[in-house]
Amino acid sequence: MFHLRTGKIGLALRLHALEATIMDVVWSKRLFAFSVSDVLVVLEKQRDIAYTTVMTTMSRLHDKGLLTRKRDGKRYLYSPKLTREQFLESTARTVLDGAIGSHQAIAMLAEKVSEASADELDDLEALICQRREELGI
Amino acid sequence: MTEAIFPLLGTAFVILIALPCSALIAKAGLMIVEHEKVSGRLHSLDLRYILLIATSIVPIAWFLSAGLHQIESGKLTLACLFDHNAALCFEPGFFALTLIFVVIHLGTATLRHNRRPRISTSTHADALTQRVERLILANASLQPLHGRIRITDEHDFALGTHGLLKPVVIIGSSFADRISHDMLASALAHENEHVRSLDPLRYLLLKLALAVNPLGRFLLGSHVSRWHAAQEAHCDREAVIRGASPLSLADAIIRAARPSTQEAVALGARDTTVLKFRIQMLLAFSEQNPTRCCRREIPAIPMILILLIFTLILPHQTSTAALDAIHTGSEHILTYFLH
Repeated sequence: MFHLRTGKIGLALRLHALEATIMDVVWSKRLFAFSVSDVLVVLEKQRDIAYTTVMTTMSRLHDKGLLTRKRDGKRYLYSPKLTREQFLESTARTVLDGAIGSHQAIAMLAEKVSEASADELDDLEALICQRREELGI
Repeated sequence: MTEAIFPLLGTAFVILIALPCSALIAKAGLMIVEHEKVSGRLHSLDLRYILLIATSIVPIAWFLSAGLHQIESGKLTLACLFDHNAALCFEPGFFALTLIFVVIHLGTATLRHNRRPRISTSTHADALTQRVERLILANASLQPLHGRIRITDEHDFALGTHGLLKPVVIIGSSFADRISHDMLASALAHENEHVRSLDPLRYLLLKLALAVNPLGRFLLGSHVSRWHAAQEAHCDREAVIRGASPLSLADAIIRAARPSTQEAVALGARDTTVLKFRIQMLLAFSEQNPTRCCRREIPAIPMILILLIFTLILPHQTSTAALDAIHTGSEHILTYFLH
């Protein structure tokens, strides 16, 4: 159903940029039974984006099985089908296929990565900072 | 010379044919378990571990025991202990000794690379130990780590658990100086899970199981990597369930993964897939507390011990037919070449 996108981290590993952003908004704001406008209000604070773009992307997320929807008059009300954790667990099957371990006999907190991966570590740190801000920690 | 043919051919058969075949069977089992459910890669950790270890332990234990008991199969185990006819045991005994020698040789080569970081006794290390002990005393879930903290001044070492039966947590002094109390407490909670599960022992057994099997790394390497990654993710999850801050743990993991300036050149291109996955899981835990997903599995180490004892007894109680066939076969080969 999903394919992995190389060079991406987190949700973007399996979703296109806007899909990942929308799912991030849904999960971090804990949205449930929400409309396209509810997501648009949040996204408009970050960038210029058209209603139809958000609507189309949410419809695609529904097709991909990440959102469920039910009709409410003329509009749809969406809800997440999986939690972020469940989504990530479902990605584990594919993500970990590419895992390369050192097979050492000492249990390390984390394997050191090369200097070339410093940018990726910076991105991950930025994600953690962003989450701290969202949670007000 | 003629007496040596069975021990040598028998050992070659075990190492070059029996172990790779066993690895193939284990691979099939692992593929089924990993595809069992959507998140199969993350769960059934103990079962997958037993499959990985059994792939080497079972054939070696069976052939070793069969070698020692080839002339007594079908008799009671006690009869063997009290009435062991050493004169008749020469060839099978020699086979068992050759097998032990080869396995130990392969295992020793692996152990040589398992170096423990040098423990520091400097004043700075003492002060750091006291800081960590205070942290442990203030946190009920970290109590099992009391007295198990060691400090190393090796610049490339961040944090890890070492030691087989009584593991200790080794902290790199430069790493500890760079992180906050919260990060350190969360990282210790992660290591606490490694201590509780005797992971250094389990990792070593896994490494040995792969080392003695010539096709082990080729056939099972990817499964071992996935198991390692899932085990680390499991320790993160357990740490958070026991009260660690997911974001502090994520921060500590990234700090631990950053190479120091001295080692940056030597590391080469390391994979960051698992790191990214673990951080994303911890970000998810910061939104919603994780729960234990599965029923408790049977602990791996006791299960392996039971399996080992059972395998050792089996040839004595039943039959050593497979070894008898190798014995006869090697004698036929010798006769063919001599005449």
